[in-house]
Amino acid sequence: MDLKSFFGILPPKLPYAELDAPVETLPIPPKVTLLWSEGTTTDLSISEGGNVKTGQELARNGNALFVSTVTGQVQEIKTFPGADGNEYVAVAINANPRDSFDPSLKVINEFSKAQPSELRSAINRAGFSVWGSILGDPSTLPPIHTLIISALDMDPMSVANQQAFRDNAGNLGPVIQMLARSTQATRSVLALPDHLIDISIDLSESIESFVKVEAVYPNGLPDVLAKKFGAGLLMKARNGGVVGNTLVISVEHAVAMVECLQSGKPFIEKIVTFSAGKDDPLKNFRVRIGTPIGEILKKTGVEPQPNGKLILNGTMRGYACFSDEQPVSSNIDSIHIQEPKEIFFFENTACVNCGKCNAICPVDLEVNLLGRFSEYGIFEKCRDLGAENCIECGLCAYVCPAHRPLVQFISHSKHVIQTEAIEVMGMEEAMACDACGPICPAIRLFESASKEGNAPMAQIGGKQQE
Amino acid sequence: MKPLELTVSPSPHIHCGARLTGISYNLLLALMPAVVMGVYTYGFDAVRVICISISSAMIAEALIQKIFRKKVTIADGSAAVTGLLLALLLPASVPIYVVVVANFIGIIVGKQCFGGLGANPLNPALVGWAVIRITNTWAGYLDFDLMLINYDTGFILQYPLAVLKAKGTESLSTFNLLALFLGKQTGGIGASAIICILAGGLYLVLRGVIRWVTPLCFLLGVVCVSFIFWLGDKTIYANPLFHILTGNVMIGAFFLSTDHASSPVNRWGMVAYGFGCGAMTVILRSWSAYPDGVIFACLLMGLFVPLLDKLRTKQVVPRPLEITTLNIDKGEKAIS
Repeated sequence: MDLKSFFGILPPKLPYAELDAPVETLPIPPKVTLLWSEGTTTDLSISEGGNVKTGQELARNGNALFVSTVTGQVQEIKTFPGADGNEYVAVAINANPRDSFDPSLKVINEFSKAQPSELRSAINRAGFSVWGSILGDPSTLPPIHTLIISALDMDPMSVANQQAFRDNAGNLGPVIQMLARSTQATRSVLALPDHLIDISIDLSESIESFVKVEAVYPNGLPDVLAKKFGAGLLMKARNGGVVGNTLVISVEHAVAMVECLQSGKPFIEKIVTFSAGKDDPLKNFRVRIGTPIGEILKKTGVEPQPNGKLILNGTMRGYACFSDEQPVSSNIDSIHIQEPKEIFFFENTACVNCGKCNAICPVDLEVNLLGRFSEYGIFEKCRDLGAENCIECGLCAYVCPAHRPLVQFISHSKHVIQTEAIEVMGMEEAMACDACGPICPAIRLFESASKEGNAPMAQIGGKQQE
Repeated sequence: MKPLELTVSPSPHIHCGARLTGISYNLLLALMPAVVMGVYTYGFDAVRVICISISSAMIAEALIQKIFRKKVTIADGSAAVTGLLLALLLPASVPIYVVVVANFIGIIVGKQCFGGLGANPLNPALVGWAVIRITNTWAGYLDFDLMLINYDTGFILQYPLAVLKAKGTESLSTFNLLALFLGKQTGGIGASAIICILAGGLYLVLRGVIRWVTPLCFLLGVVCVSFIFWLGDKTIYANPLFHILTGNVMIGAFFLSTDHASSPVNRWGMVAYGFGCGAMTVILRSWSAYPDGVIFACLLMGLFVPLLDKLRTKQVVPRPLEITTLNIDKGEKAIS
């Protein structure tokens, strides 16, 4: 993809792709792999050879639930290295083509009469693991200032979320009502990209406002939405609790939540954008969560070329897969295939200080300096420049004429700053903290410590240089 | 079933297609009109200086990179840009050895000793020029009135800025402003071709190779400060238009001051840098011993670049936030 215009005084823009076509539903594959990142194999309540029903609770760790999306027999339980580098617990299930649903799932039809905590636990039970840890347990529910329901996609080449919006624009009213009630947010906002603004939506006075968002990457990223239209900081669940004050939920997830509550079914299907190459048009498929990518490739008759690239979750922030066994999980929006000649490689080149990264950075970081300081291991300077504020949108590396891996430089410095925080304040608190920049406890601790003439950061920095 | 052979590399997986060579080759392309005009005016002598200058810059870069055991990167075009820029600042009849020495000093002292492309604190072409200019023996080779005396170019063979310095504004009536703009003036091979340099510079701005802020502020700086001087004494100091249309101001604004490595990257840094360059140019033209001050102005302001880059309106702002369930008391106890 080459979006740089011949003439261009302003930085290049990455517009979101548009698609107005019906979504195609793929049948349940014979074998489904479900991934769980919140616990270990010992948490599982099933064993190999056992039968599971759709919606059955497979494991529980605190508020995080692991719910089966198919009916069938458990074939194998193993640890699985995900494409994003995390270790997952994988449960491979030989799926029946017909679902028999677990009866313990509740049906809630009248959201206005249900208690917020009841709604939240029902959402958690339906298998929305991403939101489960924020919304699941009533006691950990922090005050939510703004709830943003986003019709924007996470990636310029993904159209899954706008598909969900086009298909459900007529009945968003109850969706927003339910979310506002279950999250108890003081303000709820619907974020619409400008090319979808003409679609008639039925909000039925359930929402305070909707905002028009320019359909240009990275405006659809939750961090950017929270910063622009929310109360400032995106809510994130961490082991120790929740930080932030703005909750961003995609329309697809929101609609699925309401459907699950009304029908008593778990969250089992996900819309995935698929593209087989640079010139291949985007297509949307509705697939069962847990479908291996290989099955989707087989259905579409596409096979990656040798040394091609299989990209999960978008071309800007996604991960390259090393096998087609990687399954579709609940937060995967798109699958892209690149031919070997399309693949872009980073180079080990020095920064030429052209400033294109600074001009395009959506959070106004001095990327040219951050890249250099991180490259030479001066992480204290990275922290001073606000490396933790980076949202890793990838635009700096996208425009860099020297082809430097700027995102990786910055995330490396973020990691080191976080590790230093762990050394200073102990593992538990540091892990609980994903709060960015000025509210980082590590920075506060560092500052208070350096005032007392006892700077832990300097000592740790010295250790690293050895 | 044969396993898939897949390439795995980190995100982002797409790129806008910009390359370092693209920057250099666009710069070379933008300088071509000035080269054509220089060759048209001064004939084969100009070709000689330009060719020698580009080749000696590239040879200097290749040699020093061999000696430093680094990867030879002359193909990225940055050495060629340095050589061409230096050639365009010189008079057409300058001896070959002066060109070669200037380029070697520019590339080796001005660029490679600091680590190569991107690490040079000053524009290497300017370093080479400045070293020749401040020597006692070779400074005469950069004097346009002396060097261009034997040419028949069809316009007044007097360097306008030298005339201004020597005789004040009265004698400037011989210079037609339109002729100056069309490049009919004594000066460097390409630097005097004002209209060609302007066209090339606008091309660079439109292509997004350089940003418009620095050139505009450079020219604004020249206009504002020369206007103040002109208001003060109209017999000694020339009007702003004369300042813009003579000497190296145009090439300085679009090509010399915008060298990526030695200019600021933030908007307000660019404003201050560009305006500073322009102001310093007029101050040097008015009060120093040199007729033109563009190159020394760029070198001087280049030294302030790290400081000027700290001028930002877009600071990373601390946000007042409440952390709801985060308990940091334990951590504080842990250190104290």
